[in-house]
Amino acid sequence: MESIVAEGLTKRFNGFTAVDSLSFKVEQGEIFGLLGPNGAGKTTTIRMLASLIQPTEGDAYVGGFSVRDDALRVREIIGILTENPSLYERLSALENLEFFARAYGVDDSQTRDARIRELLEFFDLWDRRGDRAGTFSKGMKQKLALARALVHQPSTLYLDEPTSGLDPKSAKDIRDLMERLSQREGQTILLSTHRLEDAERLCDRVMIINRGGAVSVASPRELRQRATGAHVVKVGLRELAEPFSRAAEVAEGVKALDIRDGALHVTMADEGYTPGLVRSIVDAGGSVMYVVPLEVSLEEAYLKVIGGE
Amino acid sequence: MRWSKAVLVFKKDVGEVARNWEVMAPMIILPVILTVLIPVIVTLVPDSVNGPNNANLVDSMLPNLPAAVKEMLSAFPEGLQMTYIMLVYFFAPFFLIIPLMVAGVIASDSFAGEKERKTIEALLAAPFTDGELLIGKILASFAPAMGATLISFTLYTVMVDALTVRRFGFLLLPNLTWVVMILFLAPAASLLGIGATVIISSRVKGFREAQQLSALLVVPVLALLIGQAVGFLIMGPVTLVVLTVLVLVVDAALFGVGVSLFNRERILSQGH
Repeated sequence: MESIVAEGLTKRFNGFTAVDSLSFKVEQGEIFGLLGPNGAGKTTTIRMLASLIQPTEGDAYVGGFSVRDDALRVREIIGILTENPSLYERLSALENLEFFARAYGVDDSQTRDARIRELLEFFDLWDRRGDRAGTFSKGMKQKLALARALVHQPSTLYLDEPTSGLDPKSAKDIRDLMERLSQREGQTILLSTHRLEDAERLCDRVMIINRGGAVSVASPRELRQRATGAHVVKVGLRELAEPFSRAAEVAEGVKALDIRDGALHVTMADEGYTPGLVRSIVDAGGSVMYVVPLEVSLEEAYLKVIGGE
Repeated sequence: MRWSKAVLVFKKDVGEVARNWEVMAPMIILPVILTVLIPVIVTLVPDSVNGPNNANLVDSMLPNLPAAVKEMLSAFPEGLQMTYIMLVYFFAPFFLIIPLMVAGVIASDSFAGEKERKTIEALLAAPFTDGELLIGKILASFAPAMGATLISFTLYTVMVDALTVRRFGFLLLPNLTWVVMILFLAPAASLLGIGATVIISSRVKGFREAQQLSALLVVPVLALLIGQAVGFLIMGPVTLVVLTVLVLVVDAALFGVGVSLFNRERILSQGH
């Protein structure tokens, strides 16, 4: 089932096109990454999907509700972590969460109190619940803002740089939480981030946008493969002898072979030819110690996509 | 329009304001000056009202007073006439500054301040309608402003009566003029402060800028003060009702513009 459907989403500000005919679908329970350089249109896209601003053209449906026509319903079912924590710094952590829980319709006080306690304990903020948010560190504010986004158990989450400002342990906790929310609780997560390692680890698919338009939509692995251009494997042998390299060279599907760093670097039409390659070397008497697929990192793939656009 | 949501915004804003000394300080200092210092100085420091300059004030204001008041005052010496004119007429317009200024300061914090502190995006992303947000924020400015006005008026009345009853033999306040001013013109003035600040806040980036501009709203009140001092007009019940109607017309115009400016897209696009 689709959680988010964008159809030709376009936004213009005084003649400047910030988002240009963006169309994509996000399945329920999917973590969908939004990648792109500063000013690419990520924040504007999220704002349109949150019914904060109206699209100039096109429409999007979140949980089946139109961001144009059912703005209030869209806002009810989403949780959003904005670029800034947007906390009321003169109010305590508890007051911040209580206000937003009520705003999102968590009216039963027992349910509300239990949910707030659960979140504050998860984020290690329970002991500081009575303290003003303004006295918190950057990381604590980010955690409290994330708790606020989750307080009404939304079916769809928009997270803008959720691990920004967090120490490594807290960042890992947040990544684990996102995985849990997606896999166990079926929450859909739209993740806008500059941390490509987060996107690589968490996202089922990513969309790279630049100058308001979608450049590429694929899984991180597909993106890396596309950037590599072919399937390359590094084959380590117990003994690197000419008959073995010749056997590799003539194996089905092999397009090129290179000997580097004491190993064979074999370029193939696709990864399906890997078993045949190994068999050919073994038949020639070689002992294969390891086969490692060589792909560019998501960062390299991203830079290639953005640079080549 | 769900009132429970508007009340939620109202309570949140009041909770925030109550912890902001930049907002609370003028809300406390001005009423204390008006309700305690002025009556004490006017009644207990005779030279403050009996100077040669103030004799001109009596000359200019006395002829315009209602006939019954003039007749009543004629039984008192000039010093007490001056005290009466000062406490009952001259300082009355100052009590319009309280609802105007308090509403303006709180509205500056609520509208421009929230934008400046970057808390507005999470609020706008929450499931409130524009109307619920606007009503909640207007109430958060209006209620404390009127609360401060009513408390100040009560304190001023008690102070004035306590300090003058033995010399006059009757209670100076409350009278019809003051009741009309506090119950009708003050709320209209408070709405004027809020409506103007909503518009100002949509044009400026921060709380202080909005506060400074909204402070200009006291100029018409000063005009009223000077108008009385030079004998141009005297604040009586009829004059105040007419003024209330005029201010309400201006309020309606300001709120018409303010409502059209208060939409999510405009607010967010100005923050960046």
